[in-house]
Amino acid sequence: MSASNCLRCCLLRPSASAAAAARLRQGMPLAAAVAASFSTTANHSANAKPKPGTRAAERNAPPSIRQGKLFTIKKKKKNDSGARVKSPLPGERKAFRKRILLSNTNALPVPGLTDLGAESMLDPSNVCKVLSLPDDVIDQLRADEAFKTTQCWSMFRKPSMLIRTETVDLITRMHAAAKNNKTLRLVLTGDRVTGKSLMLLQAMTQAHLNDWLVVNIPDAQELTTACTEYAPILDTEPMQYMQQNYVLKLIQAIKKSNEKLLLKLTTVFSHAGLPQNIPIKSPLMQLANSAKEAEGAWAVFQALWQEMTAQGHGRPPMLLSLDGLTHIMRISDYRTPAFNPIHSHDLALVRLFTDHLSGATSLPNGGAVIAATSRNNAPRNPSMELALAQREAEQLGGGKDVPQPQPYLKGYDERVEAVLRNVQVIKLQGLSKLEARALMEYWAASGVLRITVDEKSVTEKWALGGSGIVGEMERASLLTMRF
Amino acid sequence: MPPRLNVWAACRALSIRPRPLSARPPLRCAAVPVRTFADSTNTTNTTPAVPASKLPEGYEDVLDSLHGSAPKSPAQPQEPEAALQQEPEPEALKPELQPEPESQAETNESEHADNVLQALDKLKMISYGLNPFDPAVEGHKYGLPQLPLPSPMHMKHRYDDVVVQLTKLIMRDGKLSKAQRLTKDNARRQDMAMILNYLRTSPPPKINPSKPLMPGSPPAAHLPLDPITYITIAIDSVAPLVRVRALAGAAGGGKALDIPVPLAARQRRRMAFQWILDVVEKKPSKGSGRGMFPTRVAEEIVAVVEGRSGVWDKRFLLHKQATSARANLNYKAPPRRH
Repeated sequence: MSASNCLRCCLLRPSASAAAAARLRQGMPLAAAVAASFSTTANHSANAKPKPGTRAAERNAPPSIRQGKLFTIKKKKKNDSGARVKSPLPGERKAFRKRILLSNTNALPVPGLTDLGAESMLDPSNVCKVLSLPDDVIDQLRADEAFKTTQCWSMFRKPSMLIRTETVDLITRMHAAAKNNKTLRLVLTGDRVTGKSLMLLQAMTQAHLNDWLVVNIPDAQELTTACTEYAPILDTEPMQYMQQNYVLKLIQAIKKSNEKLLLKLTTVFSHAGLPQNIPIKSPLMQLANSAKEAEGAWAVFQALWQEMTAQGHGRPPMLLSLDGLTHIMRISDYRTPAFNPIHSHDLALVRLFTDHLSGATSLPNGGAVIAATSRNNAPRNPSMELALAQREAEQLGGGKDVPQPQPYLKGYDERVEAVLRNVQVIKLQGLSKLEARALMEYWAASGVLRITVDEKSVTEKWALGGSGIVGEMERASLLTMRF
Repeated sequence: MPPRLNVWAACRALSIRPRPLSARPPLRCAAVPVRTFADSTNTTNTTPAVPASKLPEGYEDVLDSLHGSAPKSPAQPQEPEAALQQEPEPEALKPELQPEPESQAETNESEHADNVLQALDKLKMISYGLNPFDPAVEGHKYGLPQLPLPSPMHMKHRYDDVVVQLTKLIMRDGKLSKAQRLTKDNARRQDMAMILNYLRTSPPPKINPSKPLMPGSPPAAHLPLDPITYITIAIDSVAPLVRVRALAGAAGGGKALDIPVPLAARQRRRMAFQWILDVVEKKPSKGSGRGMFPTRVAEEIVAVVEGRSGVWDKRFLLHKQATSARANLNYKAPPRRH
């Protein structure tokens, strides 16, 4: 049996337990001790509480036992400063970061600025001119996500772009391919901020202006960095994977940007296994609209693709474009059920693009497959670099100067080389001084660049921009602390 | 009045035969350093450094021959080497000084054609009333620089004073170029260029008459396209004129005595911007990513100009406190006892 009073309490706090100690000594229970106290006062009066404040009260007060201080954590008030602002809802911050502003009402309207026409970018006399985008094309390009947040659209009154010699070159090739019912397969490459994405935008603009169908994958890394859901496609060997959520988003973008065409064109095949029954000769828009949920989106996309590329039914040419080529030229971050890495080319949507880029499949109604590399956000990719360098050297006609793979370097990928074996390459470099001048004159006319544009200032900015690298020139003259 | 035609001058550009220049500046050699031991071949030339005016006559002749027309044989005496160190001639004169290469019919032809074209250009300039031999134009690709060099041309003063001060207040850990956002780096959160850019793209502010801006500030519509003026006006308008200094023990009984002290312009700006930064630090940002801090600063600056900012209240409070404390301005510290 354990003692009813703990020994430690008796030793440390003698005042509190004097009576208890006596009890221990006598071996008497508590009730007995009270009953046997020597007192002539009646029990009742003795137990009566004395009036507070009297001496008796002081005398009879329980011995003061100071309670130790308790450690309590106060809850900090949130946003104590008084500035009570509602914090953004989930998703709002990202939307704010990704928003694209295409107009600045402060900027001056540039006199004599003309809109692009269907033939404008084919005309070599338009080189070194700044032309603006027509309003309906702007909406289409927005749906394609062709504008990037890093581009300086938000500084000017109206989205406009410089026509470069490379632009005319690219657009002429596109035009020629469509005329001959052939597919232009081309990769845009070049250093950082040389205007590759903008060149892609120009290609899309041309396609929209000439009523082509446009399918654009705005950022290839969304497909391969395992940030969107994937599922295996049955009966494929080797196993391929579909990304239904992404495909649904893509169908919606196609719908929005090609609205007019999809309303006009009608289906020519019957499709089984779609979420809705689409009879023959119903508009393609109806087919596209049948993708309401991610489930079944891949089937709808396949049907839509089959319809858009149907041969001999008066289908327009098509532009298939992609930005950030490096990301689909590597092993993706997805895994098989056996936890083996999946090559990007085993993702069905990527496969569709690479097949068209390599020439394994062609667009029957003509058109172009254009990919742009990205230099800001790009994983190391020796095969792609090598293949592009080789194609570029071959185009220049250098027999001996074609770069060869390094014998001791690991990481070459045969599938990548196969895709890029015979593509055309346009390597973008700096602007010429005339182009730079045209651009700077446009900036100055917009009131954004507040210097005299003469030979001296053009040369200065051209040199600061690393021999006319257009993004660097922008940084040197628009995004500075000097005005 | 038509300009005086100087046909003779125009023909000077035609000169194919190089000749000693008539308008050559007088020879000025402050000192002719002679390397006595290094020039081992020239043992006789041991003259010490002499001012040009006191040079022996032979030197003049040698220099003349150097600038003269005759192509020199390789066996030319070595004396001119010292003379070469005189101050350099203008660029324009150099081509004429060099000896002609071997005459080839084709090059001579093309040179001749060039010269004729140049001469025609010059004649054209004369007909326009310009001076073809203006030293500011002649021989310089981009003309001569304006002297004294204007402030923004100097490397250390290329940015506006206010912008420099504010940038340094934004700076963290001594990383100035990050505060300027002139380098490419994803991890930064401070940036002056982005603040200015935000001001450029935001709509013109609606100015609140109860919170007047600096007198003489331009109309609101002019501000966005001139972001430096925008930010300067915002800061200067909200900057306090004084600070209140608490003089310890001066009020008697160990109490502090408040004394208003005027501030210099730079101090005023600093105080105002610190207030703005205090507000910005406590604001949640609307978006995410690297551009958020500059966006919040710029939003606060727009709020200051529109009179919405809480910084105005700080200024009013401080001024009120200073006004009530101005009675203490007569306070003189008691002489120190040793």
